[in-house]
Order: sequence, then structure tokens, then C-alpha cells
Amino acid sequence: MSADSARASGRPAGAKKSGPTVPAIRPGLKIRTKLLLLVSFLLVIPWMGYESVREMEKFLLEGQEQALELTTQGISSILGNRSELFDSEIGVPELAGATLPNLIKEIDEPLAIDAPAESWAEAVGDMVSFTGFGLYECGPDYRPDSLAVRHAMTIDSTMIFAYFEIDDDILVFRNPDLLSLDTNDQIRLTIQKKSGEILRYLLTPEGPGRLSVYLMKSNWREVVDGEALRDIAGTIDPDDYGYAVKLRIPIAFLGSGSKLKFEIVDVDDNQTREIRQIISTEPDPFLHKFGSVRLVTPALAKLIQPLYVSEANIMVWDQFFRVRAQVGSVFPSIREGFGRSPDEQSFLSSLEDRFLAFFEWILRNPARGMADMPTDSSREDRRLLNKVIGEGVSLSERRRYGDAKLIVTASPIWAAGQIQGAVLVKQSANKLLTLQYETLQRFTILFLGVFVFLAFAILVFSTRLTYRVGKLQRETEQAATAEGRLLKDRIRAGARSSDELGSLTRSISALLQNLGQYTRYLEKLPDTLAHELHNPLNVVNSSLENLQYNHQELADDKHLQRARNGVGRLRSIITSLTEAASLKEALTQEQEQAEPINLPDLVRSCVEGYQAANPGHRIIANFKDSPAQIMGVPDRLAQMLDKLVDNAIQFGTPNGLIVVNIQPSDESVDLVIVNDGPPLPPDIADRLFDPMVSSARDARKTHLGLGLYIVRLVAESHRGAVSAQNRDGNRGVEVTVALPLIVNR
Amino acid sequence: MTTIIAVVEDDPDQRENYSDVLTAHGYEVRTYPDRPTAEAAFNLELPDLAMLDIMLGEDMNGGFDLCMQLRNMSSTLPIIFLTARDSDADRISSQRMTAWDYITKPVSLEFLVARVHALLKISDQLQTAPAESATISVGSLELNENSMLVHWKGQPVNLTLTEFWIIESLTRNPGHVKTYDGLSDVTRQGLVERNTINGYIRRIRNKFRTLDDSFDRIQTVHGTGYKWEQDST
Repeated sequence: MSADSARASGRPAGAKKSGPTVPAIRPGLKIRTKLLLLVSFLLVIPWMGYESVREMEKFLLEGQEQALELTTQGISSILGNRSELFDSEIGVPELAGATLPNLIKEIDEPLAIDAPAESWAEAVGDMVSFTGFGLYECGPDYRPDSLAVRHAMTIDSTMIFAYFEIDDDILVFRNPDLLSLDTNDQIRLTIQKKSGEILRYLLTPEGPGRLSVYLMKSNWREVVDGEALRDIAGTIDPDDYGYAVKLRIPIAFLGSGSKLKFEIVDVDDNQTREIRQIISTEPDPFLHKFGSVRLVTPALAKLIQPLYVSEANIMVWDQFFRVRAQVGSVFPSIREGFGRSPDEQSFLSSLEDRFLAFFEWILRNPARGMADMPTDSSREDRRLLNKVIGEGVSLSERRRYGDAKLIVTASPIWAAGQIQGAVLVKQSANKLLTLQYETLQRFTILFLGVFVFLAFAILVFSTRLTYRVGKLQRETEQAATAEGRLLKDRIRAGARSSDELGSLTRSISALLQNLGQYTRYLEKLPDTLAHELHNPLNVVNSSLENLQYNHQELADDKHLQRARNGVGRLRSIITSLTEAASLKEALTQEQEQAEPINLPDLVRSCVEGYQAANPGHRIIANFKDSPAQIMGVPDRLAQMLDKLVDNAIQFGTPNGLIVVNIQPSDESVDLVIVNDGPPLPPDIADRLFDPMVSSARDARKTHLGLGLYIVRLVAESHRGAVSAQNRDGNRGVEVTVALPLIVNR
Repeated sequence: MTTIIAVVEDDPDQRENYSDVLTAHGYEVRTYPDRPTAEAAFNLELPDLAMLDIMLGEDMNGGFDLCMQLRNMSSTLPIIFLTARDSDADRISSQRMTAWDYITKPVSLEFLVARVHALLKISDQLQTAPAESATISVGSLELNENSMLVHWKGQPVNLTLTEFWIIESLTRNPGHVKTYDGLSDVTRQGLVERNTINGYIRRIRNKFRTLDDSFDRIQTVHGTGYKWEQDST
């Protein structure tokens, strides 16, 4: 059935523009999007930069590591073959109990045992806190206000000075009447000699002032020797929170290589005198190991003092894994203030802060990584030293603690073919990384600037390009109507531009000009043809008339008659040609002559004329006279109806019925002409309203196929549409012209 | 004295055919193929009527040039354009040069002779007895059959012979519809299409409207023809 109906490409109001068929368009991106995508490839550059900086980091770290190795080996060779420095009898026992992060301060003037506690506190410097949390001695009901210990030591050339600040809610002194020694607050000192011998000393107060010192058996209840010792001196000074203890131990008394620990014993009940809790200065009471004692060799320390390396920590260990000397720290001397002052926080600066924070998050500012640097890494150091001292090789390794990076190198110290110790140098890599970070930061900011600029430039360029292309497209589309009629033969937009687009514009202009010339030639062709045909036709016609005039007896001659008929048909063809050719122009000129018309009146009047003119056909106006006002040129509408009815007559059956109908709807009115006759030939159904398309088979009738073309031209000039379809059962054809009604506002 | 008719036509066949039929009707016909020969002849002697083709060989507007020359020599000489060109621009040009008639090819010789005859008669009337009482008045319209002069509200309307015949035919029975077929006969051109009649009416209306914006006497009866509406007063 689809071939049986046809709809012409009319242009009713709001109808889609029907141009020549366009091949299917592949979905894709617009030029601007494409260009911006291209720009986004530039984002590879910072990635490459990042990668190269990373490579450089590796390279630099290797360099740093090598430099550090050289330094370490240098130090180790300086220290080599100087066994006197590592003499086990030289040096100072330095610490008992837990490993301390810092070396013990050395003081020049000895501290007086009777000096006030404040002067001791000042002299020993920072103290280490020991609490009972999690420790076995204190039990689950431990409270810090019941017992807490702060402790520090210092040394001079002959003495170790130990200072304790102890928080204790109830201070219980020794009752001299009681024999047992474990029934009051006391301090227990354990010394492990280098030989492994263990000596236990009880320091017990009978009141504020001097402490009594006894050598004890291992149960801490019985004394080995009833005599109080004089070598170790101590005092106890009660204060608001508890008490302070000052101790003085001769270094000689300990001997070299000793280890020692303190235990603070708390008794709170004056009656039962039971030991409530004990806090020990050893790191882990379960292991029952003593804290190491560092033997600082002053001569060694003085030797390495000038070897200070920035942000590096140099340690000299002896073969017994004791630190003999240490200089420098891995932390920068002055922490740079990254935290900005919170005042004057404008929106912009907070935005900037956020940007910087994001930036640091992405690039991981190494300066921040310093926070992850552990203060104590002796365990790893020992592991490394084990190898160095054990195998006698130089080693280096890199360590990461979160964002902190540490380069550690160690080198053995030889003396007469024996390993005497090792130099361990630790240096933070973060300083180097900070430099790298700054490079990255500068590079990123530079790149961002370039990227933004480029993106903006390309956006502007592509917008301009898109605008120009769009303008060219619009102008090109406007250059011709949907029917392919040229409206202008020149594209003005950007025709003077020197680039490819300008040359495309000029090409299109040239194409349009050629097309325009050709179109004008084609449009003039019927006129020219008609003009050229008129003259010979006139010759034939006038000759025939002269012939008849001179030979009156030929008036009824059938050949003469046929010749005259032929001339008549030729003439009507030429008239049709010129009519269609000039109609388009005429319709455009007559646009302003449009006036409100009541379509039923016009059609009824016309149909009456057709009835009179065509007695051989029944032409019926089959509609009610309800008003249907349209804007139009009456003569042209009548001309259109002429053609429609002519067409219906020509292709209808002789004496057939032709019904003219009007069907108004909301916005338009349909003028329908129905005839009896054969259906539309399928092969031309689609092109029925195109010029020179006809299914006329009667050679004696002139039919150029311009009738329905004229119908279409008139309908379109009235913003209407035409269509044709077969009637139900193929009893005839129904041609419909839809014309827009005047909208009453 | 015989009546001299000048025929200027570049096509010898048509020229001879016109000449034959006019000679047969008793006119003395002088034929010219181009503008120079015609010009030379007109300078020696003026014809009583001139039939001009517009395009003369390569000379696109030779007919118009000849018309101007003739009009300069005589203001009352009947001039007929007989041409294949059927554009409004050509018709307006011919009107401006006060040609009496504009006929498009192909022309029926029979009607051509009738037209020549009518024009010569009018020409005679104009020369011998100026505007006598052959005037018909239909409302504001005055029509002189003899001199082919039409006045609308006292102002002369410049019509061609065909247009004059149409007006005359319409006003003969004011208020009555003149069908297309009837009007086709009136134009004396043989078979005439409706569109051609519409064209004549359009041009007539335009001519009246240049004098009077509100001219609406010629009414279209769609599908049938036209009628002259009587003055309402």
C-alpha cells in the first residue's frame, strides 16, 4: 500500500525542511570538543615531568647514598687502628634502664648531693616519664597519681648523677623498729657488671634527707652485709606531689660495661605496709633484660664532632654494640613553619590554602614526611650493625617510615685486622626530596599556567572556527530553498579570509555562481524555448491559414484540420511551459496581494463554472458553507483549483464523478478533490507533484505534467501542502491540499 | 488611394505570410527584414500602419527603436507589436511607446486582419472627425468605440486594442458575468487560455489602479469569468 500513496514535499507551517537526501551521518564529536580533547593530551606532560623528577630523585638518592657511604668509610678509616679509643676501660657508662633517645648530658661541675632538687632538675635536662600503664607490677587498678616516675641522668668525669621525680599520694618511710626492709617506699638499684655479676642495692629512706644504701640478696628482703654503703649517696626530698630523689654513683664503682636499672617501689598503707606497685626503668619487665649502658668516649666524640654532616646522625659503635660517640641529628635544626597563621583568612587565601593542601596531598611534601621519622631506630640499627661488625663489610640501606626517608650507611672500623666497631651514619633524604618537591611545584605551576593558556587559546580558536563554519553552513543552507532553488550566488561570511575556510567559502561561492548561472539558464530555458518555438509555429500557423484562404475548397480537408490541431497542441504545450516558468516569480511578487478569503465561497463559485464548462463530467461541491477563512491570492487559488479539476477530469473515467470537498480542522483546512478512475501509477507516485511528471498515455492529449506542479507551487506559496493517495479499493484518486486557516487571536 | 502597411519581420516565411494575407485583403504591404532598411524607408514615406516584431535578428530591441522613431514622426500612426515575447516588461515598454496593440505569436491571420482593419478605422476616425458622440458612459467610465479612448472619472486610460475590447465587452452588460470563453472570443486571438485572460484583466486593473487606488469595478467570478460591477450610486 505504501507505493499507492504519495505525499509531496510541501512546506506547511512547522513542517520539516526536506532537502536532498543526506547520507547517514556518523555520530561523532564537534570540532571544538575534538580540539579540547587534543589539548587534554597535554596532561601527559606533567605526568612525564613527574616521572622524570622521580627518576631524578632515584638518581639523586643514589648520589646521596654514595656520598654518605664515602663519608662513613672516611670516618671509619679515620677511626681505624686507634684501638685506644675503643678501650673498654675508657668511656663512661651512660644510661641504665630503658633506651634513651638522647645521649646523656655531660656536665663540667659535679652536682652537690645536698643541692636543691630544682638545680638537679635543671642540670639533668629533659626527663623520661615512666608510668605503670600496662606493666605487670602495677596491676589493673593502677592510677598515675598514685605512682609516676620521671627520671634523667647526667655525668661528669667521675660521677653519674641520677635524678627522679616521683608522684606518690602517700609517702611511707621506713619504720626503724621493723626488721623487714620491703615495707616502705624505696628505690632498688640493680647493677650488672660486665662480667655478668649482678649486684642489688636498696636505697631506703627513714625520713627526708639521706637514703640508706644496702647491698641486698636477690629476694630484696635480706641484706648481704648489714653495713650501709657509702659509695652510693642519695637523698629524698618530699614535695607536694610525692618526692624527689637525687643519686650519685661513682663511675669507677660501676666499672666499664656495666648495665643498671632502677625500680621505684611504692607502699601506701602505713599499717599493712604491703608493696602496692613497682615501676621499673627497664624497657620490658618480662624479658628481665637490663637496659644498655652507652659508653661515651669523650675523645671519640671530640674526634667526630667536626665531621658534622647536615641533617645527619653519626654514631660510633664498638664491637659490643655500644654507642661510643654520637653527633648530629636527622632532624633539621629549625623546623620550617608550614602552618600559616589562622588570622586574616580571606576567602581567597583559604582557597589558596586548600589548593596548596591538595597540591601537597598529590605531591606529598617531603617536609611533612619528617613527622613520620621515628626518634628511635636502634633495633634496625642493630640489625645492620650485626652484619657490619659480624662480616666486616660496608653496608647501606634506605628506610622508609611513612613519608620519611632515611639513608643509613655503616662501615666497620678496623684495627690491626680486628673489627673494633662501626660507624653508622643516618641521613634524612627528605631534604633532597624537599628540593625535588619545590622543583615539581614550580614546574606544575608553570605547566598549569601554560595548560590554562593553551586551553583558553584553543577554546577561543575553536569557538571562532565553529562560529565561522556554522556561519558558512547557515549561509550555504540559506543560499538555496528546500526545492533547490538558488536564493543567492555568493557567500559573504569570511570570503576574504586567507585560510582554508576562506578558500572553502570562495569555492562554495564559485560553485553557487556557476550553479546560479546554470539555474538561470535552466529557468530561462522554457522561455527561450517557447520564444524560439513561437516563430516557427507562427510560420506553420500562418502558412496553414494562407493555404486555407487561398484554397477555400480545402476548408474541410482532414489533413489540414489535423495540421491545425497539431499546431493547437504545440501552442498549448508552449503556453503551459511559459505559465509554469513564470509562475514562481509571479507568486513571489504577489505575496503581498494576499487577502482574507472564505475558501468555500471561492470553491463553490469555481465549481459552478466547471460544471458549466464541462458538461461531460459531474463535478460536485460536497461541503457545507461553514466559513473557512484563509489568506491567499484568489486568482492563484482559482488557478490551482482549475489545475486540480483539470487533472481529475483528465485522469478520471469519462462521465465520472468528481467531488470537491472542504474539511476544516483546527489550524488548517483540507481541500480534497476526488475522482473516479484508475489508481496512481506506483512508479511516479512519489514524484507526482514534481514538474514534467505525468502518467498521461493518450498521445492525442497534451500533458506535460505541469498541472500538479503548479498546484504545488500555489499551495506552497500559501504555506500549504499537497498530497495524493488512492481511494479505498483503488476506485480513484484523492488529491488533498492543506491550507493554513487564519488564526483568530 | 491604397492603404500602406509596413511589416518589419526578420523571419522571411512569416513576413511573406503576413504580406500574402494582407495583400489578399487589398492592402499594399511593404516588408522589411531589419531596422536599417525599415528606418530608411520610413524616412522617405510613412505607412498608414506599422506591424513590428521586437527582435530583429541580432537587434534585440529593434522593434522598440523603430516604434520610437515612428512615434516621433507621427503621433497618430497605429503601431502593432507582433512578437514572440510575452513578458510584462515588454508589454509595458510597448505601452510607454504608445503602441496601439501588442499581439503575441502565434497569431491567427484572420484575427490579424480584423485587428488591422479595426485599427485603421480608429486611425481614420481620429484624423478626420475628432471625438464625436460615439461615447458610451457606464458610471464613471467613458468609452469611445471610434477613437478607442477610455476615460475613468475624466482621466484617460491608456489601453491596448485587446484591453479596450475586453473593457467594452464587460461594460456592454454591466453586472452580468462575461465567461472566459466569451472573453477569449473578444480578444480575437484564437484559442486563449484562462491564464492569458487573467493576465489581461490583471494588467487592465493595474492601469486603472494607477489612476484610482480604489478601483474595483472588474469583479472576478471564480471558475467562470469576470463582470463589470455597476456604480452603486
